[in-house]
Amino acid sequence: MKDDVVPIAKPSILLREEFDDWAVLFSTDSGEAYGINPVSVFIWKRLDGERTIDGLVEELIANCDDAPDDAGGQVLTFVNELLAKGFAGYEVDGR
Amino acid sequence: MNEKPGPRNNEQPATSDQQRNYPLNQLYFYLTEGCNLACRHCWIQPKFQGSGHSSPAMDLGLFRLIIDQAKPLGLSVVKLTGGEPLIHPRINEMLDYIKREDLRLTVETNGVALTQELAEKMKSCKNPFVSVSIDGVRPETHEWVRGVAGCLDQAVQGIRHLVQAGFRPQVIMTIMRRNRDEMEEVVKLAESLGAGSVKFNVVQPTARGELMQQGGETLSIEELVEIGQWVETELSSRSGIRLHYGHPAAFRPLSRMFSDDGGGCTVCGIFGILGVLANGNYALCGIGETVPDLIFGHAEIDRLEDVWRNTEILQQIRSGLPSRLKEVCGECLMKERCFGSCIAQNYYRTKDLWAPFWFCQEARKKNLFPETRVWRSPKIP
Repeated sequence: MKDDVVPIAKPSILLREEFDDWAVLFSTDSGEAYGINPVSVFIWKRLDGERTIDGLVEELIANCDDAPDDAGGQVLTFVNELLAKGFAGYEVDGR
Repeated sequence: MNEKPGPRNNEQPATSDQQRNYPLNQLYFYLTEGCNLACRHCWIQPKFQGSGHSSPAMDLGLFRLIIDQAKPLGLSVVKLTGGEPLIHPRINEMLDYIKREDLRLTVETNGVALTQELAEKMKSCKNPFVSVSIDGVRPETHEWVRGVAGCLDQAVQGIRHLVQAGFRPQVIMTIMRRNRDEMEEVVKLAESLGAGSVKFNVVQPTARGELMQQGGETLSIEELVEIGQWVETELSSRSGIRLHYGHPAAFRPLSRMFSDDGGGCTVCGIFGILGVLANGNYALCGIGETVPDLIFGHAEIDRLEDVWRNTEILQQIRSGLPSRLKEVCGECLMKERCFGSCIAQNYYRTKDLWAPFWFCQEARKKNLFPETRVWRSPKIP
């Protein structure tokens, strides 16, 4: 996936945040559920069809005290997993 | 998007293609109708087999025949349980056959009859996994649960034999009112013996467990939920070995289910498991001992392939789980992983395959079910 594409969360995916800042992503279409960690929650909330991968990474680094060196790679991996699961897509019309 | 919004809630009949896609991964052999202990919570309720008594046990030839028929269906794992599998008079030959057929071995034992020779024979099988029951660190506790004097020392010695043979066995403790205060000590004992993990089971209200519940000897749902949170957060964090607590997936912290070091999130394997009772009956699992509806045939009469592919209840389970689960289980976000937790227990209690699991149902009534794990489809006006 190119860094300048704009991912967007699928509207039918529910985010349920829990006491320890982890959250459930639940597909109301398929019934699949996954647990995501707090960093992934941060990214998920910003998959609004406005931010590029680079923009997400910049925002993450700006908000984290101890962002890993490969934060960009990790964000890309997470977004790719969401795309593969059908939990996210691309914003077709751009920004 | 072709499907309607909302979790799947309409049963789709399984096609013949779908039926073919269910390999029979595991056989659970309940090898003996008797047991050398008399555990007050046992959901199988075998006959007590003290010295001088013997109860029927699975025929060795039938055991081999079943494995031979199961391998073409996808068999890769054999679990030996009971009763007590290690008192089976032909256990050595059964282990030899499992090894010869290159099948993975899982054994659930009370450890009493576990010799060094048996430990080493089990270790020679493919990827063996053995769990031993320890229900307290004090003899008066463990033996109150297990019904036979001296059995704690024997079980501990059995674990030592396993460790000596190279295992890191799992210790299983079933928690109840009498032993709840010994949970942390059991973890320490397990660590000191060289065990690899401890699993805390909840007494299921089946057979003898149901009598315990009626007698007030089991823990309340409030206690079970609270203890679960304590195990998942506090006790796990200070234990050197992995801990599992037997509450349904809806109660497990996501960080324990989905992080690399949290113990994982196993998905129920019900679609690939079949039970074989000591008398040769095929059943959903050991529940066949108490629920005749869940017996599917007999190994001397019925071809295993026919039983596995054509048993109506198995087909219903394949097509109906998890979409037909009712009430709290039907609304649970974890239902694709949990599948109603224990469909055998649910059926035992209600005669309904799709009934909710008692733990979740009781927790919901007491407002203890995690609301973040529930989703109700919107009503169409």
